[in-house]
Amino acid sequence: MSAPTPLALAFQEHRDQLLRFLRARGAGDTAEDLLQEVWIKVSSAKPGPIASPKAYLFSIANRLMIDHYRSAKQAAQRERNWTEASGGTGTDQSDAPSAERVVLGQEYARLAQRTLDELGPRPAAIFRRHRVDEVPQRKIAEEFGVSLSTVESDLRRAYRALTELKERMDEV
Amino acid sequence: MSPSLQQEICIVLHDDTIREDALAWAVRTGDPAFDDWEGFTDWLEADPAHAAAYDAIAAAADDGAEAEAARPMADNDDNDEPTDRRVSRRWFNGALVAGLAALVAFGMWQAEGGPTTYSTLPGETRLIALDDGGSIELAGGSKLVLGEEGDHFARLEDGQALFTLHHDASEPFTVAIGEDRLVDIGTVFDVRTGNGELTVAVSQGAVLFNPQGQNVRVDPGEVLTSAAGSSDYEVSSVAPEMIGEWRDGRLTFQQASLARVATDLSRATGIDFTAAPGNETQSVSGSVLIAPLKDDPQAIGALLGISVRKGKTGWVLDAR
Repeated sequence: MSAPTPLALAFQEHRDQLLRFLRARGAGDTAEDLLQEVWIKVSSAKPGPIASPKAYLFSIANRLMIDHYRSAKQAAQRERNWTEASGGTGTDQSDAPSAERVVLGQEYARLAQRTLDELGPRPAAIFRRHRVDEVPQRKIAEEFGVSLSTVESDLRRAYRALTELKERMDEV
Repeated sequence: MSPSLQQEICIVLHDDTIREDALAWAVRTGDPAFDDWEGFTDWLEADPAHAAAYDAIAAAADDGAEAEAARPMADNDDNDEPTDRRVSRRWFNGALVAGLAALVAFGMWQAEGGPTTYSTLPGETRLIALDDGGSIELAGGSKLVLGEEGDHFARLEDGQALFTLHHDASEPFTVAIGEDRLVDIGTVFDVRTGNGELTVAVSQGAVLFNPQGQNVRVDPGEVLTSAAGSSDYEVSSVAPEMIGEWRDGRLTFQQASLARVATDLSRATGIDFTAAPGNETQSVSGSVLIAPLKDDPQAIGALLGISVRKGKTGWVLDAR
């Protein structure tokens, strides 16, 4: 029997806090199930050395909640598109990407890219560097020769613009 | 103020605060260095609306990151491929068929004090609410930047916009179009730029055209036209009820060039119209409803007494 890993120890130590966090994140009755999902992810992942096992665990739990939210939203959108396309009588719903869905996805990608461009070169580049290249915010501040709070402010602007774009597209 | 209105305003303000906080948390929690998970939990527990606001932002940022990752880096310009153009049109047609106005009200958030750019796709309109209760309605295919030189400053980079402003004599509102400046004197006015010229039509109050230069006062029922980069201008009369009627889905042309007709139709419908080379300056008059044209673009020919033919990427307008 091998000694428990630092992650396993951290999981045991912060179990109650994680549960509280998942509930606060909106997990409700499924918080226990989700905690188990976090554990499965943690025990199957083979991450390199981790500076803070606790932060790592919470990030995984948070990411899990975002993914659940996104897939629930996509499912609702699919259902809505289907109902609209079939005049509200359809029950034969397919999960395959329809031409309409592909088209909407492309339209969204184009609008999102334009939305980011309109923020100006620096916020768009910082968003890309952080979210696509996954560079930590402090490192980005050094690269761009700006303060950390400027990086945060640019990212907030990008997130805000993308959220507003989503809201507009959902309303149409 | 009625209690319900007051309550509504409180809710809106409250929602704004939640969004601001949620944005800050979304940015901070996305960084590997973030370690205040207790603080984040406390904030989430304070109100179930917090988690909802956070999720919406986190998901939108994720979707944006995926779109950004898929961007072909060699091609950053916004010129649509022919297939893309068809896609936009279909999307907006769908919205219209569904009977939903693509008109969205936006609170004007001065994001971090910097200028804010608003733009519309062809076929789309957008209402920008100003902090003082005034508003700007942006026509299709337009771009406007607010706040470059203070709160009372807008630059119309392209397209058309109807300004409904609360006049403040101590700090009048200025609209910049290229090098030209329009300054309000208590006002509803429509500004259009494109095809190398600026037009401003006043429906209420008055506007000063280039107070530092020609200093022309444009009164209700007047329209001023000036070529871009030229100091020449022309003032003619316009029926006040025609001003800003694009908002109600109608376009009226008075001795307008074919080039201008094509531009306005493209902006309003999202369908590609161009003027036939050589006949761009041919003048046309008439009034058309936009919605039916989306299903039958060729009908514009009969409506304006011009010829319409299918071109490579869209419809070509020509003299009959």
